[in-house]
Amino acid sequence: MSHSDTIPLHPSSQSDIDEIENLINADVHSVTVLPARPPSPPRVSIPISHSPSPLPPYQKVPPSASPPPVVPAVPAAAAAPAGSSRIGISSDAFGSPPDTLTEPVWDTVKRDLARIVSNLKLVVFPNPYREDPGRALRDWDLWGPFFFIVFLGLTLSWSASAKKSEVFAVAFAILAAGAIILTLNVLLLGGHIIFFQSLSLLGYCLFPLAIGALICMLEGNVIIKIVVVSITLAWSCWAAYPFMSAAVNPRRKALALYPVFLMYISVAFFIIAID
Amino acid sequence: MEEGYTSLPTSHLLGSVPAVIAEEKPSAGASQSLPANLQVFPPGNGGYIPPESPLGGEEQAANNWKGFCSLSSYTPYFNVDTDVVVDRIISSVYPMDEFSRKIDGSPDLYGPVWISATLVFMLAALGNYGTYLIRKRSEPNGDWEFDVSYVDWAACVVFGYAVAVPAAFYFLLQYFGLNANLVRLWCMWGYSLFVFIPASLFLVVPSEIFRWIIIILAGSASSWFVYLNLKVSTEGSDTRPLVVSALVLQFALALFIKIFFFS
Repeated sequence: MSHSDTIPLHPSSQSDIDEIENLINADVHSVTVLPARPPSPPRVSIPISHSPSPLPPYQKVPPSASPPPVVPAVPAAAAAPAGSSRIGISSDAFGSPPDTLTEPVWDTVKRDLARIVSNLKLVVFPNPYREDPGRALRDWDLWGPFFFIVFLGLTLSWSASAKKSEVFAVAFAILAAGAIILTLNVLLLGGHIIFFQSLSLLGYCLFPLAIGALICMLEGNVIIKIVVVSITLAWSCWAAYPFMSAAVNPRRKALALYPVFLMYISVAFFIIAID
Repeated sequence: MEEGYTSLPTSHLLGSVPAVIAEEKPSAGASQSLPANLQVFPPGNGGYIPPESPLGGEEQAANNWKGFCSLSSYTPYFNVDTDVVVDRIISSVYPMDEFSRKIDGSPDLYGPVWISATLVFMLAALGNYGTYLIRKRSEPNGDWEFDVSYVDWAACVVFGYAVAVPAAFYFLLQYFGLNANLVRLWCMWGYSLFVFIPASLFLVVPSEIFRWIIIILAGSASSWFVYLNLKVSTEGSDTRPLVVSALVLQFALALFIKIFFFS
């Protein structure tokens, strides 16, 4: 690292830098250096954990793959190995920032896909953490909801025999605006949720309905369509229930849940009726 | 991480109780200083005017107006519980005089918003189902397609009516010198739409006579509800044409619902 400097260092600085470099190259848990700036999670007060099994948040340092908008201005004093560095607490101050800008596109896509899958597993499928809604979507993202909404719109539009673009527009508008309005509804009722986390959750709960729409597109019989859509509708409502009901005062639970069910029922009806 | 907090300007106050500074809102004038039973000037267009004997909580509501874009300024209008909403819905179906007393203390906007949304969904869905049934009766092998424009029309008509008509009446009542509360009008008109939800369930039956009977009944109930409550709000005799026009408008809405969605 001193080879990149053109300014000759004071001998005491050199020894300091050497000492720090030794600390960095040593194992993480023995670091006693305080961070120059504590790594702040980029989102609202929820620490990011990347593993599908949620660990207590402060045990595991986010690996270099987590998106840090906190790019320190301190130039690289030590050339940290890109991509796989496990430099601990002080990576922002001493090492080079984790290289998400120069990593291959496939890595980025793979990371986002892994996050979508893990969020999906947490929200839609039975898992032991469902009772704690705050943990369910710690690592929320909006890519998953976006994919599901667009997929649902496209499927409905494909199934429709007339006015295809209008069908897509209506479906997209209902789902997107509906998610925002439902979140605002909970906030207005005095509930405690985080806006984007709720948007994310409502989008992920569309996954069963998206599957139902796909099956209905391939299948023509009305009875089968009704059965399939009813099952997926129940699944979606079951997925959204713990989060929404925990967010508000118990006396207003029905007030917060009814609009969610209304939106999912209207989408389900749309799926059945489009042929 | 704790070092950051010692640099805050109030760190020297740690351990001491800060003095309570009485904040006077300068814009509201002299009446602001006595919180008990004076009318607070409404903070804006959608402002909440407390009735003659305001409770303590409503003073808070009027003073918490933070502008149109802040969510917390609308929270007082959603301060209802499930049983309160159900109670108001039930009393809207029977057009008796109790509804005004129920919303006297706190008109809510939750009811109007979600009753309108439900009505939009019902009209679009059941209107299409109605045409499906009629098509199947007349030509059993004919094809029917879902008409998406029903959704657009239902949304525009119902939300437009629920927003614009009370606002128009608010301005008209203000013009005639009567003190009207916009939120109360919105609340009342919103709940008056509830009758059409069960009515639209009955309107699916593909019999013309039955449909007309149902819509006339529903329209009459809803119009009578609007008429009674508006009469209570206005309490003046020379606004009779206004009140009658509200009744006629509500009935016109009922007829439009029948003619557009269920024929």
